[in-house]
Amino acid sequence: MNPLVQVERLEKSFGEVRALDRVTFNVEAGEWIAIMGPSGSGKTTLVNILGGLETPTGGRVVVDGQDISNLSEKELTRYRSEKIGFVFQQFHLVPYLTAVENVMLAQYFHSITDEREAAEALQHVGLGDRLDHLPSQLSGGEQQRVAIARALINHPKLILADEPTGNLDEANEAVILDLMRKLHKAGNTILVVTHSQTIGNLADRRVEFEHGRLARIGAPSLAKE
Amino acid sequence: MATRSMFLRILWKLLGASRGRLTLALVALSSGAAICSALLIVNLDAGRKLTQEFRTLGANVVIAPSSAGGDAALADAGIMDLISGLRFAQITAAAPYLYVAARSGTQPLILAGTRFDDVARMNSWWKVDGSWITSADDREHCLVGSAVARQLGLAPGGKVEFRSGEHNVSLTVAGIVTTGGAEDNQVFTRLDVAQELAGLPGKLSLVQVSVSGSAAEIEAVTKRLAGELPGLEVRPVRQIAAAEGMILGRIRGLIFWTIALILILSMLGVLASMAALAMERTRDVGLMKALGGSIPRIMNLFLAEAGTLGVLGGTIGFLIGIVLARWIGGRVFGVAISPRFEVFPVTVALTVIVALAGALPLRLLGSVRPAEILRGEG
Repeated sequence: MNPLVQVERLEKSFGEVRALDRVTFNVEAGEWIAIMGPSGSGKTTLVNILGGLETPTGGRVVVDGQDISNLSEKELTRYRSEKIGFVFQQFHLVPYLTAVENVMLAQYFHSITDEREAAEALQHVGLGDRLDHLPSQLSGGEQQRVAIARALINHPKLILADEPTGNLDEANEAVILDLMRKLHKAGNTILVVTHSQTIGNLADRRVEFEHGRLARIGAPSLAKE
Repeated sequence: MATRSMFLRILWKLLGASRGRLTLALVALSSGAAICSALLIVNLDAGRKLTQEFRTLGANVVIAPSSAGGDAALADAGIMDLISGLRFAQITAAAPYLYVAARSGTQPLILAGTRFDDVARMNSWWKVDGSWITSADDREHCLVGSAVARQLGLAPGGKVEFRSGEHNVSLTVAGIVTTGGAEDNQVFTRLDVAQELAGLPGKLSLVQVSVSGSAAEIEAVTKRLAGELPGLEVRPVRQIAAAEGMILGRIRGLIFWTIALILILSMLGVLASMAALAMERTRDVGLMKALGGSIPRIMNLFLAEAGTLGVLGGTIGFLIGIVLARWIGGRVFGVAISPRFEVFPVTVALTVIVALAGALPLRLLGSVRPAEILRGEG
């Protein structure tokens, strides 16, 4: 059985700056991968390419059997809505939509909306009583939980989270980590960009970057060594 | 259905989220629409009112016997019945005239027999010193042109005798007429008095007709009259028709260019608000694209928002425009302008077009690259 994600000699340059340099690794379905490394090492660029937000300048990326390296803008849009669930560090909720509407927004761009299903997704992340709250009426942790519910609502093949706990206090970080553990247990494939050793330790594997290159790849125990 | 309802739900939230900026855009659209609809109403109604006003400034069509000559140079008075029998809505008045070469003492003059009620309807601008002849049966009085009155030393209430060939008639001066035209050199009496003086019972020299409408409409009525009145020459008074057409044309041109200018200014107002709004919405659009929103689907939301503003602005503007048109009509044209509801769809359509054109900055958001907007560190 093929890996869910195949990254082969992936390259990305911004002018003279090489953000990713011949990166190769695979992700199996159901795996939880922690992408780690110092700032500017290419972690976010990798996530953006995997999420169809950027196109590579070299190499190949195959997700769920689909080579996304040379997709058109229209095909990338479809790919994002059908296969990817994003969770951002800054939550990125639409400020004038309620929690349930933010979740429904992802449904709207995917296919059809179902308010009951969106409400259930919020109940799963513990926000059953916050459906009609605006983001400004929610705490940071609650906003991130809405973002997670939104990322999951279309049953994506791959969840991409960029520093999901970066803007949260310890208590809220613990809630989000617990949620991610549950998602992993439920069989979701998660790729998390993080500086957090805690997340690094929870993941199945760490993929570590330095200056755009893959520095290390392996299990958390190996990374610690 | 659910998708459509979500579209409306997001649209409603979009409208509520940027109330301040959208209100500014709405004010720009409503004011532009108000002036445009007022001018369009004025254009439609004032055009009609002005042509009516023009019709009080004298005849613009003359019906006369064919200039073939001889006895044929006089028409039968029965043509007045023929003209009224045609029931042309554009004919607002028709006045018969019989011109008689007469003398008062040794002074030669032209005596014009006519129907005073028709003449009054057609020439309300005539200045009369004394009184007008209001009774259709009045055979005792005459109106004297100001030049004739000066030459004969006549004043209202004075007696004057006219002779033509073997006939003579003695009349009392009811009023002195000043028009600044040929009428100042004529004396006006009841038609049958002039016919008796000339010994030409039942005869007319010509009929002056006042036809309302544009130059083209007047031309069309002239042709129809010519067709219905064989043997008579029906000709428009071209100078009057052309002058009226030119005035109307200039007013319409002024209104058209003013509307164009106002719409451009409104669009600039909307453009300014939308540019600020586009800056605010960049992140939202980046997010929507990241979530898999296609450019047309996202842009449809913003275009619907602009379109809604256009419909709202056009409706508010039209209502204000009715009041404004009434005011302009009273102040500028001196006529009461009635609301013209056919202007409503035109105003709304123009305002929607302006709103969509002004939403250009929002449309440019389609080129937003989500990776740049949502970029974290790394």
